[in-house]
Amino acid sequence: MNTKSYILDNGAYTAKVGHTDDETPKIIPNYIMKAKSERRRTFIGDQLSECRDKSGLYFMLGFQKGYLLNWDIQKTVWDYIFSKDCCKANFLEMPLIVTEPYFNFSSIQEGMTEMFFEEYEFQALLRTNAGNLSCYHYHHDKPSTKCCLVVETGYSFTHIVPYILQKKFKPGMLRINVGGKILTNHLKEVISYRQLHVMEETYVMNQCKEDLCFMSTDFDRDHKIAKMKWPKNTIVRDYVLPDYTTVNRGIIRTLDETSVSRTIDKDQQVLRMNNERFTIPEILFYPNDIGIPQMGISEAIILSINLCPEETRPHLYNNIIVTGGNGCFPGFEERLTKEVRALAPDEFDVSVTVPENPITYAWHGGNLLSKDPDFFSLVVTKEEYDEEGFSACHRFDV
Amino acid sequence: MSSKVGMGRESGRLKDADKKKVLDTATRNRRARRALESLEMDNYQQDPHADIVLNKKAPKFLDTIEAKGGRRKKEKSAEYYKQKFRRTFEQLIEADQFINRDPPNYNTIEAPSSNFPRRIFCAVCGFRSSYTCTTCGARYCCISCLGTHQATRCLKWAV
Repeated sequence: MNTKSYILDNGAYTAKVGHTDDETPKIIPNYIMKAKSERRRTFIGDQLSECRDKSGLYFMLGFQKGYLLNWDIQKTVWDYIFSKDCCKANFLEMPLIVTEPYFNFSSIQEGMTEMFFEEYEFQALLRTNAGNLSCYHYHHDKPSTKCCLVVETGYSFTHIVPYILQKKFKPGMLRINVGGKILTNHLKEVISYRQLHVMEETYVMNQCKEDLCFMSTDFDRDHKIAKMKWPKNTIVRDYVLPDYTTVNRGIIRTLDETSVSRTIDKDQQVLRMNNERFTIPEILFYPNDIGIPQMGISEAIILSINLCPEETRPHLYNNIIVTGGNGCFPGFEERLTKEVRALAPDEFDVSVTVPENPITYAWHGGNLLSKDPDFFSLVVTKEEYDEEGFSACHRFDV
Repeated sequence: MSSKVGMGRESGRLKDADKKKVLDTATRNRRARRALESLEMDNYQQDPHADIVLNKKAPKFLDTIEAKGGRRKKEKSAEYYKQKFRRTFEQLIEADQFINRDPPNYNTIEAPSSNFPRRIFCAVCGFRSSYTCTTCGARYCCISCLGTHQATRCLKWAV
């Protein structure tokens, strides 16, 4: 059998795709967009690069609340992803590794399985959770570890999942209903109220969030700094919004630079980002700040570990791994270490790792897994599916 | 002199306080819930192409995307899968309660409420706040933020 696999980490916002021998995956937007300026077509996945004016983009996502609900959209995006225009899949020769959310609903699992075997005709399939792949990756890098705690914080929600001997320990799992989408929407809301109406600019404000927001490592100190006036206030920045004629992506400026350029270009629209820079990501740690009645990441980690067998706890505290796009906020690792350290019993060592690229970490785990000598014992082949149907898929650890 | 005392002057503050509208708990909760629901939206605006009427003569731009592979059997359309697997989120949750009756399942892994007290921020400027609007319960930090709040969100243009 061909040992080259196709790995699709199918996130609600971006899909990470590539083959076994690819060094890095392609990151493809897992949605379809409509632009105001281009009325004759839609943009699927990374076709967005062909769109000149990205203001007021309209998103159509296959996922709702983290689960695959809009099948027509997902099928259209998959058709594009598997085509030669994006990341070609030789269905008949390749096993597929595809990820799905934790506690995916069984009718969605059936639908995905049917599509991959009957529509696309992959010769073999492995359905798994992105966290399982992250755990595999972590274990591959540190073979002596017995347990790890995966904090997966993506677009729709955040999961805290303890893995004991590379198996997820379901009674310890927790979900916080805060993800990147809520952060972007809240930023939009706040900016629209305080400064400029940007409610329709989800795409631009998401970039603004990625460019400027950071995880405060000392919330009270940063509040004090943000209250001061420039230049003592080292946090405040201006964000020049793209107009898609001269500026194609928002520009970060200090206030000095703004006062110089104001005289040159008066038409630029500028947002002033001050406490917004750190109060937005803060919602991950304190959902209560905006009235979501749930505990944040650090508190949930303590609770989750306390739900695990006692002998695993020192290992879990010492092997916390953060994946997913929100892990990209600067300062995330330091902040999480600090908070967990403060809440955990002092006899435990606490170690938090945010990998170099938390977005592709799971994909790389899938890549390593596809080279594992035992890989083919995990998959369901097309023959097995044709024989037994969906029940053949019960071996998947999802 | 004495007649003036007999008239009795009224307190302007108390007089206004009687007229003041105070939102009840149900309204406040409804506002809070709406605010949270709006954070789940994919788009704020309407579909910008909603008014386009396709006629048969219009070229179909998606044709080129499908691989032309000679061997492939007839592909089912996206619409077929939309119809076949169509479920709302609520339906999925309901079905899941029968299939995965025992915890852990989707509902039981939801993180519970925090043990820490809620941190309070000014609804206008986002800094720490110490005061509460007596009308709607929103928080503010200073007189100027209160003014902004009353002129905008308190009762006017409220969600």
